[in-house]
Amino acid sequence: MSNVLEEIQKDLYSGKLDGVKKGVKKALQEGLPAQEVLAKGLLAGMDKVGKDFKAGDLFIPEVLMCAKAMHAGLDILKPLLVGLGTALLGKIVIGTVAGDLHDIGKNLVRMMLEGAGFEIIDLGVSVSPEKFVEAVKANGAKLMGMSALLTTTMPSMKLTIEGLKKAGIRENVKILVGGAPVTASFAESIGADAYAPDAASAVDVARELIM
Amino acid sequence: MAMKKRSTERMWIKVLSKAEIEEIHKKSLDVLERTGIEVGTDRGLKALRKAGAKVNPKTKRVKIPKKMVMRCLKTVPKKFTLAARNPEKDCPLVRGGRPYSRNGGGADYTLDLETGRFRPMMLADVRSYFKLMDGLDGIDFIAPVFGHDMPSVGRDIVMLREAFAHTDKHIHLRAFSGRTLETMFKMAEIVVGGKEALKKRPVVSLLEAPISPLKFLDVIVDALWLCGEYGIPLDVCVMPSSGSTGPVTMAGNVLLFNTEFLAGVVISQLAHPGAPLQYAPRPMIMDLRTGFSLAGSIEAGMMAVAGAQMAHYYDIPVSLHGPWTDSMSHDGQSTFERTYLTLLAALAGANALVGAGMIQESLVISHEQLVIDDEIHRTVLRALEGFEVNEERFGLNAIDRVGPGGNFLADEHTLKFLRGERYFPHLLYRNSREAWEASGSKDFEERAKERAKSILKEHQPNRLPEDIGKALDALVSSALRDLANKP
Repeated sequence: MSNVLEEIQKDLYSGKLDGVKKGVKKALQEGLPAQEVLAKGLLAGMDKVGKDFKAGDLFIPEVLMCAKAMHAGLDILKPLLVGLGTALLGKIVIGTVAGDLHDIGKNLVRMMLEGAGFEIIDLGVSVSPEKFVEAVKANGAKLMGMSALLTTTMPSMKLTIEGLKKAGIRENVKILVGGAPVTASFAESIGADAYAPDAASAVDVARELIM
Repeated sequence: MAMKKRSTERMWIKVLSKAEIEEIHKKSLDVLERTGIEVGTDRGLKALRKAGAKVNPKTKRVKIPKKMVMRCLKTVPKKFTLAARNPEKDCPLVRGGRPYSRNGGGADYTLDLETGRFRPMMLADVRSYFKLMDGLDGIDFIAPVFGHDMPSVGRDIVMLREAFAHTDKHIHLRAFSGRTLETMFKMAEIVVGGKEALKKRPVVSLLEAPISPLKFLDVIVDALWLCGEYGIPLDVCVMPSSGSTGPVTMAGNVLLFNTEFLAGVVISQLAHPGAPLQYAPRPMIMDLRTGFSLAGSIEAGMMAVAGAQMAHYYDIPVSLHGPWTDSMSHDGQSTFERTYLTLLAALAGANALVGAGMIQESLVISHEQLVIDDEIHRTVLRALEGFEVNEERFGLNAIDRVGPGGNFLADEHTLKFLRGERYFPHLLYRNSREAWEASGSKDFEERAKERAKSILKEHQPNRLPEDIGKALDALVSSALRDLANKP
């Protein structure tokens, strides 16, 4: 492994934004293809971050710092990757369901997914079934995530899934649900594709769904 | 021989110094002036601008001047009573008075009493819980729990109808809309006999919360106004989750929730000076390894004590968690977490202790946990009473009578004071191993289960008079019809 890629990984792990930017520029100057810098520098660095986070050695705020550094490097690579098709993992539409105004969980999941390389279309809070459907259509998203904190708003999850069916696009998108009162059996009962109990596993589940 | 009642203030514990309390107050005013709050409704923005706050209608940001906060603080009542259908069960919330406890509100999952299985609550469970809470002396007022087979729209109204039927204790509410809230107030009016009667004796109260940090959406603005109009006590529930919706530092998190409370005071008192409010911080930390906002933590305990100190500084009643836990059942972790949280809150001078029966944060309630929490509350109440130190209790003559090597068992002093001095627990095992084995080797949780079953079997709630019940039924039916026809 080239030195510069190792340096990028190290700086990313330490959340050193400027270091990552410098490293990415240096790698490109040395003639490394953008795709390789992304895969072996940035994403490989985030993988290590993810492993240590799961092991309890890194905390969420630190992971978010690393993700920030990664995105700073990614911004330099993006124009070079456009022609080749993005190597990002995919688009995901997320939001808190209709009637629910709580978003810290959804925001945490968004930040973790961004760190993992997903492109997020965040619809915010109290998102109607129609808005979810519209966003999936407009963005061609392959993944959709719904969050709820209040048990009274959970029925909206089922309504949204039905909305996707009516629009004829249920088959085009994988649906992931979560939130404090949401359970795996509830997810199954409404026809969602997956459930995740916390932000970290949401990333793993999203990765599996996109494959 | 019963002991004299004394103010609990003599026992209050502190985590903040006087200077730190004043600093937090000052900095809260700074935050309100500098950063301000976001107010979601145009009506709210208008009212605040009219009163002199700086309002940006585009960003909905409101900056509140210090003088406005100080003016509004002056009109908040220093005490109020949570009235009960049965006046003997009234809960006066007053500085230095004993704390009153209630169950955790909003749960809609349960652990089955027979199988221990985690499952959704149904109406039958709701009734069972209301009956149990009515029958437990250590639970002073009741908060709602909901069944999955209750109507999705109007479940708060249906819940209140059930609560009135199963208990004559004060009922604390959760409302899912301004419309249903007003219906619930009208139901309470029927029970006490009119709007003025309800103001004098509020048999219901409410809890509402801004979204931390600093967002006051229409739900809470409307609640603050409606409660003010009807004279219904409102818990201003401020609950930033330290590390995510609040600063990770405890000082910062306390500063934030204190700021949010003051904003609630302003919104309330501008519209209804003198409206009864309770300071209700629910300090939480977010576990930054997992993203879970935690119910139990020693940090939450410390922040709760700080919250009580701020409330005392403002001379406003304060509601804190007693029982709360992240455990999945009424197990050792649960007992451990809720015991220290309850003790800290009670010794800090809380007026209301909330959370009985609740496990897995705010999702689940269990009968066994309610019975255990009843025990914890009554034990803590006994601690707050302290013990009397005077000539009689010293028993100098008894010591002299008994003399060296004697014993006090049959002495008249012992006979006189033995019942008044002690607390008699229901759930604690205090005998020999042989006796324990002979009676089935039952552990703490099992004994709690037995006590729950026995109360459910034998307790007879004080029924609602028939005419009131009928009037409530009529109101509930028409309200539900209305909600269905005009959503």
